[in-house]
Amino acid sequence: MLAVPFSLLLFVSNGTLATSGNTMDGGWQFNPAASLLALAVLSGPLTWLVGRWRPGLAWVAGALLAGGGLTTTIVAIATGDSGVDVAWAPSWGLRLAFDLDGLARLYALLATGIGLLVVIYARRYVPLHLHHQGRDEREAGPFFAAFLLFMGAMLGLVMARDLIALFVFWDVTALASYLLISYDRQDANARASALMALLVTGISALGLLVAALLIEDRYGTFDLGAVIAAAEAGDHSLGLTTGILIVSAALAKSAQLPFHFWLPRAMAAPTPVSAYLHSAAMVAAGVFLIGRFYPLLATEPRLLDGLAVVGAGSMAISGVLATTRADIKQVLAYSTISQYGYVVLMLGLGGQGHYGAVAAVFYVVAHALAKTALFLTAGAVTEATGERRLDRMGGLWRSMPALAAGSGAAAAGLAALPLTVGFFKDELFFAAALERGPAAVAVAVGGATLTIVYIGRFWGGIFLGPRRATADPVPLALVGPVVVLGAAILLTGVVPGPVARLAEAAAAVSLREAMTVSPAYHLDTRPENLMALASFVLGGTLLATRRFWSPAAMGLARIGQRFGPARAYGRGLDGFERFSGAMRRVEVRDLRGRVATILLPAGVLVIIALIATPTRDAFSFGTIQRGDAGLVMILIATCGAGIASTLPRDHLSMALTVSGVGYCLAVTYALFGAPDVALVAVLVETMFALLFLGMLSLLPRRVLAEEAAEPENHHHGRRDAALAVIAGVIALVVSWSALSRPTFRESVAVDYIELAPDAHARDVVTVILTDFRGLDTMGEITVIGIAMLGIAGLLRRGRLR
Amino acid sequence: MSLDLTVPLGLAWFAAIGLAFFDGRRAWAGWAAVAALATTLLGTVAVAVDVAHSGPRSVVAGGWPTTIGITLEADALGLTFALLSLSVLLVALTYEVVAGVQARGFPALVLAMATGLLGLCLTADLFNFYVFFEIAMVSAYVLTGYGDRPHQLRAATIFLIVNLLGSVLFLIAIAALYHLTGTLDMEQLAIRIPIVQTNPAILSATLIFVAFGIKLGLFPFHFWLAAVYTGTRPAVAAILSGALVNIGSYGLLRIGGGLLPRELEQGAPVLFALGAASILYGGLQAISCGDPREVLAYSSIGQAGYILVCLAIGGEAGYAAAVLFAVTNAINKTLLFLVVPLRGPWVAAAVTVGAASVAGIPPAAGFFGKAAVFRSTVADGNPAILTLLVAGSALSFIYMFQMVGRQDWATGDGVGPIWSDSHLPATRIIAGGVAVVVIGLGLWPEPLLVLSDAAATALIGRLP
Repeated sequence: MLAVPFSLLLFVSNGTLATSGNTMDGGWQFNPAASLLALAVLSGPLTWLVGRWRPGLAWVAGALLAGGGLTTTIVAIATGDSGVDVAWAPSWGLRLAFDLDGLARLYALLATGIGLLVVIYARRYVPLHLHHQGRDEREAGPFFAAFLLFMGAMLGLVMARDLIALFVFWDVTALASYLLISYDRQDANARASALMALLVTGISALGLLVAALLIEDRYGTFDLGAVIAAAEAGDHSLGLTTGILIVSAALAKSAQLPFHFWLPRAMAAPTPVSAYLHSAAMVAAGVFLIGRFYPLLATEPRLLDGLAVVGAGSMAISGVLATTRADIKQVLAYSTISQYGYVVLMLGLGGQGHYGAVAAVFYVVAHALAKTALFLTAGAVTEATGERRLDRMGGLWRSMPALAAGSGAAAAGLAALPLTVGFFKDELFFAAALERGPAAVAVAVGGATLTIVYIGRFWGGIFLGPRRATADPVPLALVGPVVVLGAAILLTGVVPGPVARLAEAAAAVSLREAMTVSPAYHLDTRPENLMALASFVLGGTLLATRRFWSPAAMGLARIGQRFGPARAYGRGLDGFERFSGAMRRVEVRDLRGRVATILLPAGVLVIIALIATPTRDAFSFGTIQRGDAGLVMILIATCGAGIASTLPRDHLSMALTVSGVGYCLAVTYALFGAPDVALVAVLVETMFALLFLGMLSLLPRRVLAEEAAEPENHHHGRRDAALAVIAGVIALVVSWSALSRPTFRESVAVDYIELAPDAHARDVVTVILTDFRGLDTMGEITVIGIAMLGIAGLLRRGRLR
Repeated sequence: MSLDLTVPLGLAWFAAIGLAFFDGRRAWAGWAAVAALATTLLGTVAVAVDVAHSGPRSVVAGGWPTTIGITLEADALGLTFALLSLSVLLVALTYEVVAGVQARGFPALVLAMATGLLGLCLTADLFNFYVFFEIAMVSAYVLTGYGDRPHQLRAATIFLIVNLLGSVLFLIAIAALYHLTGTLDMEQLAIRIPIVQTNPAILSATLIFVAFGIKLGLFPFHFWLAAVYTGTRPAVAAILSGALVNIGSYGLLRIGGGLLPRELEQGAPVLFALGAASILYGGLQAISCGDPREVLAYSSIGQAGYILVCLAIGGEAGYAAAVLFAVTNAINKTLLFLVVPLRGPWVAAAVTVGAASVAGIPPAAGFFGKAAVFRSTVADGNPAILTLLVAGSALSFIYMFQMVGRQDWATGDGVGPIWSDSHLPATRIIAGGVAVVVIGLGLWPEPLLVLSDAAATALIGRLP
């Protein structure tokens, strides 16, 4: 069903999209980058729609899309670079610029290949999972939609050359992981874990956005290729701040210290999600980002040193913690942090030697294969036994031999035993460490030893030893992918060439020069072999003597729980919540308070404005002449009426004093030589006084009396008086300041008087109201009409409802 | 052929008056209002297309010379906000008509508000601006009481009193400016204000700032906002937060940026401080709110701070960012206020889209709003403000996704009694449509970017 429209998307004309790579003359031809981009954007939505239409087919759509992506990537690996570059938002100079280069191909292969296996696995796993939780099987649809959204985001991310496009896909991976981790939405723990993952990766991503904007500010473009070219030409260095922002975002995504705590919590997600998150998607994205920005980061050697330190720390601490966990998924989670610590360490080491960058990407591939298999094993084992703790399992190899074999190969791969691809990942790692001296060598051997310990404990705890749990048979779909991955690990362990070529192509993008590595078995005493041997021996010994050192490791775990960043996160969130609650309790809730909070700050702002501007000559008093006596008297009366209006408690006196103010002002206008305005003012005042009186007579006496006697309205007397003063002062200051200036010489008033005869009227006020500014009058009439409409809604048969 | 810019305005105006005589609860009246509003919107689009091709257009009421009569002028800034406000009103009106109008005057009031908002975006006369502002505000006061529950009437009372206070301050400032310059025409005002002594000008500017700060719900003038947004019906909350709020942002841009740029620049430190306070205050308050509508209300207070920061940055980049942010924020809030009372799988998706957009997560449109603000701050070279914006954005992540996580949007388990009468499928389709628009604008932001750049250019270009 999907194949037809989709195959149309795969082929894009040369005319519409710029392609690089093997172009034929004109005509239609296959552009892998364009089709992967189409996949990146459409995978999630398409799967969602299919899931809405037929929930049972969501996985089919997912498998087809992932399979399509995998096929395309393989084709791209065979044919070489391709790209897309079309205008996106020219106002900002944004382009949909995507390159399917070596780095992108490697990560795309992981995202689609492992994605496909996980979809096949999830096809059986998710319905079982829903069944256990008593949920409707139709809820599988959103799962596959979010999963494919995740895969699509990874594809877009790895190909993006435009920094904003890169950020878009970067954030979509965070969003997709949020949706997947909170998939069991009735589980409060899952929701909290999803929020944690989103906050850690999303907020750190803001740093990436800021970095992108800083880069644009400095280099004038969002195009990463152009930026790298400019940096290499020696135009600018990246700047330490920008570098730190990028690296922090990457480390948070890759769950490195001190951001690592979200990853173990993310185990609340269904197991296929964990498998994907830990191998080909989320954490891989972080390391990918470092690889992508590597040419820029390398201009700041301190950044690379920082990476090495963080990587080594994460590797060591999480490695120790992984040996203390009882929950099988937790063991794997800490293992991932530790393994990515290796990768980050290698990238940090890569600054001086060249092995680091190649070793890092090689490692990512080997790790992805092994870790996916191990997670899928964990899921299958839990499905079969209903248990998640290592101390409640054991001896399962008898009942699940295929699973034991597949995951055994994976565990061996992770532990870097010979005949697995993992051996070469450590060989390259050791070579990189050797380039940097004895300290790096010691750290490397230590890391490899820890890996052997916790993976040995994991695999041995499940499959060896006495049998502690009964295993129900599990569907083939839960075992098949593990076996496939195990076989792949062994196969590439014998023929590592293809993986090495992929890694070389990827590293060439990061290092900006071609690299060659030739992983092979050498039966001699070269340092790499000795280091490997040392780690095997040490690891074996530690595994055998676990009883003696495990209390110390548990102690470290407890210290971490008490003082670690996870606790800081929890306290921070609680602190925000409490602070916010306290703030809400002091929020103003009564009407007078609300009025006060307008007037008071307004008064403060007016005072600031007064202080900030020169007040010399700004306020003039003018002169009072003999003829002004009447004016002065009426103004005094106005003030008196104004003050009087604040005193009464009963409504009638209030209304009367307020209209007293109005009448006084009307007299003022009359004395100022504006009899027409005075007339209007008297009319308006009379009307309002009557309205008030009429309204008060309609309201029940009792209500008015109660309202007047309400202590609530009086015990804020001082505050109210102060506010009244503030309001008065604001009006006074502004009007005094304005009136201290003479009227502008070219006032429109002059024109009005001049033009009044043209409007066929003798009276200027009339012409202004009906003609010059007739639109205003019409508007004000509309205002009255709307108010009447509103009042009519409140009344029923002439009375308030 | 070009459409006269008074046509859409007159259309909305007469439709409002005409519909006031009929019972808006009848279906035909509701749909007639939808049709009138849609036609107004189309007319405005036609004017906008014309302006885009051949520059700003103006007309003087009564055919008098420019400074004598009231000038109406359509430029990119006004049209951007006009189109935004009308679209939001149209969506909210359709939503309510579909859900069932419950008060006689509702359709007429929405059209009246459309008249007010369109008028104030098109006028080039300061007092006329005030008149249209009043038309919109009075409609809003009445609309806030829509539903007639006691708490809604209480909210309307608060809204009325607080905002009337703001209107009075605005009026005093207009009177002062008229006294100082002898004109109400904005173009003349912009020329004459620089001649005026600083003191009275900045005092008037302060009052105008307070007046629009109240409309925008800026800290510390926001205390009316939460009660009002939370109390009203969803369509009204969407109207207030998506359409009426534009008065604040547009007013600050048009009058602050267009008429009083010198005063705006002098006030920049205060704007930065209040913007920062608003961002932190709104964000922190929103975290502990249980009711999603309350979260959205406090979020609006925080978002107002972003607009203020952009204004303080000023210049073409700052104004463009302010416009872009105001537009995306209005759309986000419309979507969320309409969608939070609903339940269902599409609703869950729409809520997530809305939350992502408020938090500025791509591919939702809100991302570009946030990015524009960040970008203008980076160009301004102000690390302190940039840090603050990042902190505000982090807070929005927390409160938005806490809100999403608190409820099961897909099936409705454990939901409090929020407006249970609007669970019709059609309301969900409308809300879903807005969500699609949010995503669409996030994927193809060029129209928004072009519009906001043009708006900023129009504003700067007007300066003498």
